[in-house]
Amino acid sequence: MTAPSLWEVLDRACNTGPVMTMKDFDMKVFRTTTRLVKEHDIRYESRTPVSSDDGLADEAWKAGLELFREVGSYCINSGRLIRFDDTEIKEGLGELRGEASVGEGGERRQLTLRGVEDKKPPTIVCGGVIESNFPEGENFVKLYQSIAQEPLIDGFYVGPPLQSSEGRLVRSGSPLETHSGRSMATWVREAVRRAGRPGLHFISACTPAIANVAAADPVDGLRRSDGIVATIMPELKTDYENLNKVTFSHDYGCVKHIYNGGMIGGWAGGPEGALVVAIANAVMAIMVYKIGIGSSYNALGYLRASAPNYSAFVTRPCVWGSSIGSQALSRKTKIINTCVAMTNAGPGTEMQLQEITSAQCAAIPCGREGVSQGARRFKVRPLLGSGLENQFWGELAYALAGIKRDLASTIADEMLSRYEGKITRESDGGPPGYTFDEIYELKTLTPRKQFTDMQIKMKRELEDRGISFRY
Amino acid sequence: MTREQEVLDRLRDAVLSYDSEAAAEAAKEAISLKIDPVKAIEGGLAKGLREIGDKFEKGELYLPHLIMGADSMEAAIHVLEGHMSKDGLESTIRGTVVIGTVEGDIHDLGLRIVASMLRANGFKVYDLGFNIKTLSFIQRAKDVNADIIAVSSLMTTTMPFMKDLIEALEASGLRDKYSVMIGGGPVTERWAKEIGASAYGRDASEAVRVAKDLMAKRRKEIT
Repeated sequence: MTAPSLWEVLDRACNTGPVMTMKDFDMKVFRTTTRLVKEHDIRYESRTPVSSDDGLADEAWKAGLELFREVGSYCINSGRLIRFDDTEIKEGLGELRGEASVGEGGERRQLTLRGVEDKKPPTIVCGGVIESNFPEGENFVKLYQSIAQEPLIDGFYVGPPLQSSEGRLVRSGSPLETHSGRSMATWVREAVRRAGRPGLHFISACTPAIANVAAADPVDGLRRSDGIVATIMPELKTDYENLNKVTFSHDYGCVKHIYNGGMIGGWAGGPEGALVVAIANAVMAIMVYKIGIGSSYNALGYLRASAPNYSAFVTRPCVWGSSIGSQALSRKTKIINTCVAMTNAGPGTEMQLQEITSAQCAAIPCGREGVSQGARRFKVRPLLGSGLENQFWGELAYALAGIKRDLASTIADEMLSRYEGKITRESDGGPPGYTFDEIYELKTLTPRKQFTDMQIKMKRELEDRGISFRY
Repeated sequence: MTREQEVLDRLRDAVLSYDSEAAAEAAKEAISLKIDPVKAIEGGLAKGLREIGDKFEKGELYLPHLIMGADSMEAAIHVLEGHMSKDGLESTIRGTVVIGTVEGDIHDLGLRIVASMLRANGFKVYDLGFNIKTLSFIQRAKDVNADIIAVSSLMTTTMPFMKDLIEALEASGLRDKYSVMIGGGPVTERWAKEIGASAYGRDASEAVRVAKDLMAKRRKEIT
């Protein structure tokens, strides 16, 4: 027996699944999640941002699995439920092979499973900067070159939006956006060639499926060793754009990169509910997006606080949920799961380094296979992002392999206590940071001393706290 | 406690317990006791919804609670409105808002939160949902005689559709008829000024304050 094929899943999504209003689905998610949180006695513990409680991780897994089994997922275009029975879910989990490969030639990387507190280094370190509104052309190439030249980086995330395409404003869904998808892939290939790493993996995150399709080119664009990002929408929802991305990845044979999480304050309710939903979303990645087929990996990324007054990532409840979600998936599945840090502060700031540290403390010691999508500021400002924070992103990921969760929790607690008061409406979430051309000397593509000094200082401090940097 | 106060408390509590049936029953009781429906709304139902809104702001309750509370209030108002004059009903409404996410943008969580918070603060809200075409915002605003058109965008590539809305209102001679407030992850006050929006709200709480200010301004302009 095998799990329902992608074609069967699409049939349910488009033709045969029961019809339901979106509001009814959202409320069902909320009511079921609330009940499961109680039944499994899942309680948010603010003093322990990185949990060491194996039992809690196992209960969270059971609750997430039950949630998915009870409510399934929802296709917003058709208004249909995509549901699976116990046997199908079991078969879907059985499809996971616990490995994936990305990149080509000397840059080929094999992603394999890691356990909780595993000494094995992360099996992938992807960088990225998306949502930073970069100008098209040479500066875009230089940005990704600055990331590709970092030796620990195994790939990176490339996403919208460009400021323009052929000098014209890019609108969502317009032909200019389709063209920009192709242009970005071409420039990325140029960037990795300049860095001497032509086979380096990248993940295309253009919003419309067609822009990713336009980028596909085994030579000069998105290769089969590269990936396309498909997102699970809050909560447990998909749409035709994302299903188109999954279907095209399946047909073309490239890597599927599934981005999902749970939203605190939304349909999931509080931190406990968001944790349960995050796990259910990962099960959805397996069942609906067929992450077990082909070379694919997951990013349990956007555990995010949407309430009360400010939308923010890498907050204390987000870190707590991420740590347990990481452990639950590591202990109970063969899903390749990676970490994302959507920071509130921008590049070149101490706060961003602190946020990266908190995010990774909830990931690498908690059994995630690696890190993906890099660190990037949630609030969009032009030209935010550089290779330098990606360097720290990679070095820290290696350094955290093998540390105990208790130590990770102590460090995350300290970091959070330094920056969580700065995540305010007035500060727009935190300091915006510095632009690419402020952080780097563009002619030589080298970071300026004040910023490298800041990272070195942070590393020394973490060493004093018991972290050993290999790089 | 008077009988009237008891019923007002029941209306408030029905909203606080997200119980539409209890809210409708309490509304019927209010009618039978000849309690002014405006008082039933303002002294009972709205109090409950505001309390939920306050708890949401403190992070004690979440979006679904706001929606369930608003549904309960709606069930009671459905009973009360048959016993109210149009003026009476309108006097309970702080303003009418048409809200949605712009074309090409399927993000709706923030939108739902803002819509719910506006409802909790006495606004009549027409939530069009996500991926809404510019002309649909305008048509709906005309249909319901809106005061405010509120639009959100979560992507820089969909922000230009906000500019389209302003331009379309100008082109059709309707710019002065509606206040336009904008918000969403990448949206800034600077962008609001650049495109000529009436106001910018950084989050749900600020959106409520901004909407109240816009209504005050509109009333001042009328007088």
